[in-house]
Amino acid sequence: MDLIANNKRDVKKSDGNETLLSVRNLSTDFFAEEGIVRAVQDVGFSIRRGRTLALVGESGCGKTATALSIVRLVPAAQGKIVGGQIVFEGRNLLDLSERQMREIRGNGIGMIFQEPMSSLNPVYTVGDQIAEAIRLHQEKGCKEAWADAVEMLRAVGIADPQRRAREYPHQMSGGMCQRVMIAVAVSCEPALLIADEPTTALDVTTQGKILDLLDRLQKQSEMSILLITHDLGVVAQRADEAAVMYASRIVETADSRRLFVEPLHPYTQGLWESLLRLGFSGRRLRVIPGSVPAPLQFPAGCKFHPRCSKGRSDNRCRSVEPELREVEAGRCVACWHARGYEDKA
Amino acid sequence: MGDYAMGTNRHLLRVENLRTYFPIRKGLLRRTVGYLKAVNGVSFAIEAGQTVGLVGESGCGKTTVARNIVRLTPATGGRVVFDGKDVLSAGGDELRRIRGEIGLVFQDSYGSLNPRMTVGDTVGEPLKVWGKIGRSEIAERVRALLSKVGLSRHCINRYPHEISGGERQRVGVARALALEPKLVICDEPVSSLDVSIQAQILNLLKDLQDEFGLTFLFIAHDLAVVEFFCDVVAVMHTGRIVEQAPAKELYRNPLHPYTCTLISAVPRAKPGVQRPRKLFRTEPLEGSKGVSRRDARGVLNCLSGCVFYPECTERQEKCLRRMPELDEKEYRRGHYVACWKS
Amino acid sequence: MSEQGRIVEARPGKGAGLWLDAVRRLCKRKLAMVCLGVVMVYFLLAGFVYLAEMFDWRVGPTRWGEEVGQSYAPPSSKNILGTDIFGQSVLRKTLYGARISISVALFASLISIAIGVPLGAIGGYFRGFVDEVIVWIYSTLSSIPYVLLILAFAVVLRDKTVLGHRLTGIAAAYLAIGLTSWVGICRLIRGEVIKHKDREYILAAVSYGCSRRRIILRHLMPNVFHIVIIDFSLRFVAFVHAEVILSFLGLGEPNRPSWGAMINDARMELSRGVWWQMAAATAAVFLFCLALNIFGDALRDSLDPKLRIQ
Repeated sequence: MDLIANNKRDVKKSDGNETLLSVRNLSTDFFAEEGIVRAVQDVGFSIRRGRTLALVGESGCGKTATALSIVRLVPAAQGKIVGGQIVFEGRNLLDLSERQMREIRGNGIGMIFQEPMSSLNPVYTVGDQIAEAIRLHQEKGCKEAWADAVEMLRAVGIADPQRRAREYPHQMSGGMCQRVMIAVAVSCEPALLIADEPTTALDVTTQGKILDLLDRLQKQSEMSILLITHDLGVVAQRADEAAVMYASRIVETADSRRLFVEPLHPYTQGLWESLLRLGFSGRRLRVIPGSVPAPLQFPAGCKFHPRCSKGRSDNRCRSVEPELREVEAGRCVACWHARGYEDKA
Repeated sequence: MGDYAMGTNRHLLRVENLRTYFPIRKGLLRRTVGYLKAVNGVSFAIEAGQTVGLVGESGCGKTTVARNIVRLTPATGGRVVFDGKDVLSAGGDELRRIRGEIGLVFQDSYGSLNPRMTVGDTVGEPLKVWGKIGRSEIAERVRALLSKVGLSRHCINRYPHEISGGERQRVGVARALALEPKLVICDEPVSSLDVSIQAQILNLLKDLQDEFGLTFLFIAHDLAVVEFFCDVVAVMHTGRIVEQAPAKELYRNPLHPYTCTLISAVPRAKPGVQRPRKLFRTEPLEGSKGVSRRDARGVLNCLSGCVFYPECTERQEKCLRRMPELDEKEYRRGHYVACWKS
Repeated sequence: MSEQGRIVEARPGKGAGLWLDAVRRLCKRKLAMVCLGVVMVYFLLAGFVYLAEMFDWRVGPTRWGEEVGQSYAPPSSKNILGTDIFGQSVLRKTLYGARISISVALFASLISIAIGVPLGAIGGYFRGFVDEVIVWIYSTLSSIPYVLLILAFAVVLRDKTVLGHRLTGIAAAYLAIGLTSWVGICRLIRGEVIKHKDREYILAAVSYGCSRRRIILRHLMPNVFHIVIIDFSLRFVAFVHAEVILSFLGLGEPNRPSWGAMINDARMELSRGVWWQMAAATAAVFLFCLALNIFGDALRDSLDPKLRIQ
C-alpha cells in the first residue's frame, strides 16, 4: 500500500473538477473484408481526475474500439482513427509521435483487459511481467524493479507475494490473474486506468473483490478510471458517471444515479427494463425486440429506430440521426423524443 | 390421489451420491498423488414438469454434474436413475436411447454448433440419427422447431458464423428439443449473451416451459436468472450441494453462509443502495494457504471438514472435523441445508 | 406465446459455408490465381498425354528409343530445346514427361490419403490402445530413411503381379511412394481430430445419441478436411521429387520419358557439354513446384478458419 503513496509524481489533491481526459468527436474506421466499418462514430466524453466513468453497451457497440483508440493501440492493418481529439492532461494524443505515445502508455494511461488468463504472457513469471512494466517507465535496475513488483502484488491483495511472483499465469486462478494485470497496469501509477470488462470473466464473488480493489487504488492515488462494461449492476454501484453506447455512438451520458432513476434514451430505458434482478416477480421480462445491427448494416437515421417503440414509425427518426445534445447540466442524450431535446436545438 | 409411490417413482431424474474424482498426476512417473474431487457426493431429484436449478461459481462442479448425467464425463461413483433406468451402468444401445431422451443446451452458442453444418442440418441431425422418419418429414419438423424457438425459415440455410449470438442459442434450443426429450439440461445457456438477448432467451425458455410442460435442469452462476426460471434451487460449492430450497424461499431466507455470500455479492442495479455487509472473510485470503485456490480445494478435500471452511465467516471448531450432510436438517418444507450452524 | 418472446428474424438468402468463403478469399489473391493457372496447364497437359496414349491418338512417337534424327543437337530453330541421344526433341520429351511425373504424384497422394486419413482419424478419436498401435507403426516407419524405404518398395514391387495385373515401373513407383508417405497426413489428421473431439459441438452430437461412426464421418471429417487439401497441395511437390529420385536411380518407367529419367541421362551428357536436357527437365520441375507451393500457401491462408475476421 505504501508504494502507491510514495509515488514520484505529486498527487495533487484536486477538487475533482479538473478534467483529465477529454474525448471529442472521435471516429475510428476498421477494415473488414466486406468494406470499411465505422466502429466509433463521433464519440465524446470527459473524465475528471479521481472519478470513474462507465462506458456501457452491449457487444459490438464499439466500446472496446473506443478504448483502443484512446491509447492508439488499433493496429494499422486493422483500423485507423479518422477524426476527433483526445486531450489527455492538456495534450492531444493524436498529435503525438509513436515514441511519445509509448511513454504515455503504462505511465500516464494504464489498461487492463477482459480475459485475464490470456492477457498475461504464459512463458514469463508474473513477477517478471510486472517488473518489466516498471523497468520500462522508471529508471530502475532489475533487483529494484523486482522488489517493487513484489510490493505491487502485496498491494493488490495477493498473499505470500514473494512466492507468487515466481509463479506462472497458468498456476493462478482467474481472479488472481486479474489482480496481476491490475498490478501491471498501476505499477507506474498512471493517472487514468482503462478497464475493459475487467470482471466479466470472473465469478460474482471475485468480481466484488476486484472492484473493491480498484476502488481502493483509486482512492489512494486519485486515479481516474474508464470502466467499460455491459453489467448494469456494476455501473450502478461503482461508477460516478456513465455513458451509454449503441452501434458506435454515444446515446446518453449522465451521472450514474440519475441515469438509473430517469433514463432518457429509449435504449437505456429498454436495458433497465430487461435487466433481471433478484426478487423479480413477473412472469416475463420486458425485452427490446430485434438485435443490435451489424456494423455494415446500420440503418439510416437513428440507429436504434427499428427497435424503438417510438421511433419505428416516426419519419424523422427514420431519416435523420439525432446528435448528442446537452439537455441539462451534465446530461446529454441523442434522441428526438427525449425530454428537453427539442428545446436545445 | 392415491399417491402410493414412495416418492421415488414420480422422480424423472434421481441423482444419488454422485462422485467424480479426477486423478492428479505428478512427477516423472505420473503417479497419482491425489484426486480432484469435482463432484463429491451430490444428491438431488427432479420430478416431471419441475425445473431445478443448480447454481454456483466456476469450478464448483455443476457442469460436471450435468455431463455425468448423460455420461459425457464418466462418473466415479454413485447412481443416476433416469426414468427408472440406471444411466451409469447402461450399455451402448441403452445409453444411446437414454441420451435420445435428454436434450442438452450448451453455454457457448458458437462452439456448440458445427461450423460446417447449416442451421437446418444441425437441428435435423438428431432426427436423422434416429433414422426413423423420411427426409421430407424431417424438413417439416425442422421448420416447426425453428418457428417454435422464434427463428424464421430463412435461417435454415445459414451457417453459424452468419447469425447472431442470440439466434445461435435459439438454434441450440431447437436442437435440444428435436427429439421431444423428457428432460432438458441447460448448461449456462444465457451466460455468454448480452443483457437484452438474455432476456429474449429467458422468455423463450419460459414460454417453452409453460407451453410444453418441459422438465428442466438449469445450471447457472447468475442467481437472478435461476430465481426467475426455477422452481427449486440447489447451491453448490466445491462439489457438494450446500443448500437446497424452493426458489423464492431460498432468496428470502438463505441459511448457509455461502448462499448469503453469493446473494450479497450480486451487484444491485440501484445506485446509492448501501452495499450489504460483506460476508467474506477479510483479505487476504486469495492463496493464503500457500497454494492456489484450486489446489487448496484439492488438498482440503483430503481433510474431512466442511468444504466452505476457509472462506466461512461463521466457522467453528466442529466444522473442521466433520463434513455436514445435506439432508440432515429440513428447516422448512423442502428447504435443506448442510451446515453445522443451523 | 407472448409477443415479447417471439422474435422472428427474416433475412432471406442462401448461406455461404466456410468452403465458399474460402474460395472467395482465395480468388482475391492474384498471385495465387496465376500459380493455379500454371498448375492447371501442367495438369491439362498430363491429362492430354494420358488420353492420347489410352485412345492411341498418335500425337507423338510411340517408341522413344528409336533413332529419329541427329543426336545431341543443340537448341536451334528446328528443335527449340535441342535433341537427346536418339534425336528426339527435348521439348517433346519435357511435355510428355509431365504425364509420368504428375500421374505418379497424383496416385501416390491418393494412396497416402487413403491410408493416412482413416488411421489418423481412428487413432485420434479412440485414443487408448488403438492410438498407441497406430502411433507406433508410423513412428517406426518414419524413422527409416525415406529414400531407402522407397527404393526397397520399388525394387520389391517391380515386375510383381498384383490381382492379375503386372506392375509396370510407373505403378511400382507410385505404390512405393504412396505406401511410405502417409505418415505426415496421418499425424496431422490425428492432431486435428484430438483437438476437435472435445469441442462442444461434438459433445452435443454425442449427447443426442449419435453413433461414433457418424460422429467421425459426418461431424469431424468436414472440419478437419481442409488439412487434407492443404497437405495435398504441399506434399504433391514432395511426390514429384520422389518420382524424380526414383527415375534418377533407374527405378522409374523405362519406356516413356519422364523428368527424372531426363535428369538421369544428364549424368553422362553433362561431361560432353550437353546441358539442354537437364536444364529443360529441371526447369519444368522447378516451375511446377514453385507454382504449387505458392498456391498451397495461399490455400492454407484462405482455409484457415482462425484467419477469418468475424
